[in-house]
Amino acid sequence: MRRAFGDTLLRLAEEDERVIFLTGDLGFGVFDKFIETFPNRYINVGVAEAQMVACAAGLAMEGWRPFVYSIASFMTGRAFEQIRIAIGYHNLPVVVVGAGGGYTYASSGVTHHAKEDIALMSLIPGMSLLVPGDPEEVTKLMPQLIASDRPSYIRIGRFGEPTFTSDSPIELGRGRLVRKGQAIALLTTGGIVINALEAADKLQSDGIFPTVCHFHTVRPFDDATFREALNDVDTVIVIEDHGIQGGLGMAVQLRLAGMDRRIEYLRLGPGDEMALGNPSQELLMQKYRYNAESIEQVCRDLSR
Amino acid sequence: MLLNTNEQRMPVDFPPIEDLELRARKVRATCFKLAADGGEGHVSSALSCADILVALYAGWLRVSPETYQDPMRDRFLISKGHGVTALYATLAERGYFDPEEMASYAQPNSMFPNHACRLMTPWVEISTGSLGIGLGMGTGMAYSIKMRGLDRRVVVLMSDGECNEGSVWESAAFACAQKQDQLVAIVDNNNSQAVGRTSDLLGPETTLESKFREFGWSSRAVNGHDFKELTDALNDLPFEEGKPSVIVAKTIGGKGTSFSEGQMFWHYRVPSPEDLENAFRELDAQPLYGCSP
Repeated sequence: MRRAFGDTLLRLAEEDERVIFLTGDLGFGVFDKFIETFPNRYINVGVAEAQMVACAAGLAMEGWRPFVYSIASFMTGRAFEQIRIAIGYHNLPVVVVGAGGGYTYASSGVTHHAKEDIALMSLIPGMSLLVPGDPEEVTKLMPQLIASDRPSYIRIGRFGEPTFTSDSPIELGRGRLVRKGQAIALLTTGGIVINALEAADKLQSDGIFPTVCHFHTVRPFDDATFREALNDVDTVIVIEDHGIQGGLGMAVQLRLAGMDRRIEYLRLGPGDEMALGNPSQELLMQKYRYNAESIEQVCRDLSR
Repeated sequence: MLLNTNEQRMPVDFPPIEDLELRARKVRATCFKLAADGGEGHVSSALSCADILVALYAGWLRVSPETYQDPMRDRFLISKGHGVTALYATLAERGYFDPEEMASYAQPNSMFPNHACRLMTPWVEISTGSLGIGLGMGTGMAYSIKMRGLDRRVVVLMSDGECNEGSVWESAAFACAQKQDQLVAIVDNNNSQAVGRTSDLLGPETTLESKFREFGWSSRAVNGHDFKELTDALNDLPFEEGKPSVIVAKTIGGKGTSFSEGQMFWHYRVPSPEDLENAFRELDAQPLYGCSP
């Protein structure tokens, strides 16, 4: 996804002279071509996230379309007030980019864990929230973010994530119904969609066909596709690389609470605790039951 | 009337000092009345920066009631958003709007809220109230100006208490690294914050002008209530090519009346009818609105 982001950014800058990129001293090697092509439209602000965001807001007021880039935890946590006031209050079209959300940087420790980035950004009214599932979604959604002309947050993963295929188009604000099954619906956001699809594949031999619905856009939430995903379904499982508060799980729970039929709700993802001990991402996915094996097991248990 | 950017920026021929002082007295009287009418108003912070604002809007800033939406205008950012009554009064005095409009100050949905808001007040460039954000936004504007090779300036008014914020120094470092000589910071150095003295809170060992200098800025301290020093400093900008400039204006909180000068409690105090009467008498000026002709 990081590569897709860098490549797409360069293409966007070539097509749109308003595109400008600010980094909090991160992204080694990813933006070399961009720096070479547009030296003045690449600004390394230094390790100064608050300044980066305020500066981007000033640029947006001058007509630019800035992207600000740092590790998700620092981007959303350190610069929260600048994002709220300089971008949100002024309603400026700045794209806030959080690299490595959730437990992407699990082994770097709690400082680098970003399982609250979506929650924090969801507190800013009107901010679009995007968690693409694969590099193709990053590529397709970035130009749509610029065109939307409003504040937005996009979380991007690291390098070399697998891709998945779906007939469902990649449109900002639209969920993607990747598989239509029955009884169980797996609702995902971010790269975790791959885990869900892998689990769904393995379940087929046992005659279990869960629906898989992927939300690269958490806000604005696509209620129509959400309702469609619930057809023939009595259990919803939200799978997300994010904490309990403020992510996809909470968006789904709010909607389930208002429905006239009872649908069981389960959530697989990080718990409400600091994950100490610098474990690997794989270990944490196992612990919090959102790797492919755990998803598969949960579906089997439910289908007995 | 559009601003002609090809026109060489010459030293500004300011009005006579007595005129500027009269304007400032009217502005201060208006600040008192706004605070009394609105029930809030940060009188001390508004009065300390009144002379700075009057000087800026006396022809030095390239903006006028006709050009306030012109993309080529100079940008004035009031980063100390709580001092905004002094800006309203200055703009009213300069004819940006009918002064009587200010009667709605601090009322719900007023065009004149008690912290600066771009969405409510068309002549206000940015929305502030949380300290330490305006300078960063100014650096973004200055970056754009330099990239486009424009002759425009960005002036950011900060309080000295604001310089407690670490984000100010992130912005200061950036402005230096980017050689932003079209960026001007003015610090209203009144040495009085909400509950403390800036000199105690930042430590007495170094001054704000030396702190900025260490951050690579060209720095000058002036008496912020002396129009000669203020206007000379403005006409000398930028102080050095290739460096951002800061004017550290030594001011007195609540400047203008015997009972408000240097008194910490005037940060929040709402003037009583008696205070108003005394203020107008000592200032020898009436507010710009709400007076029968």
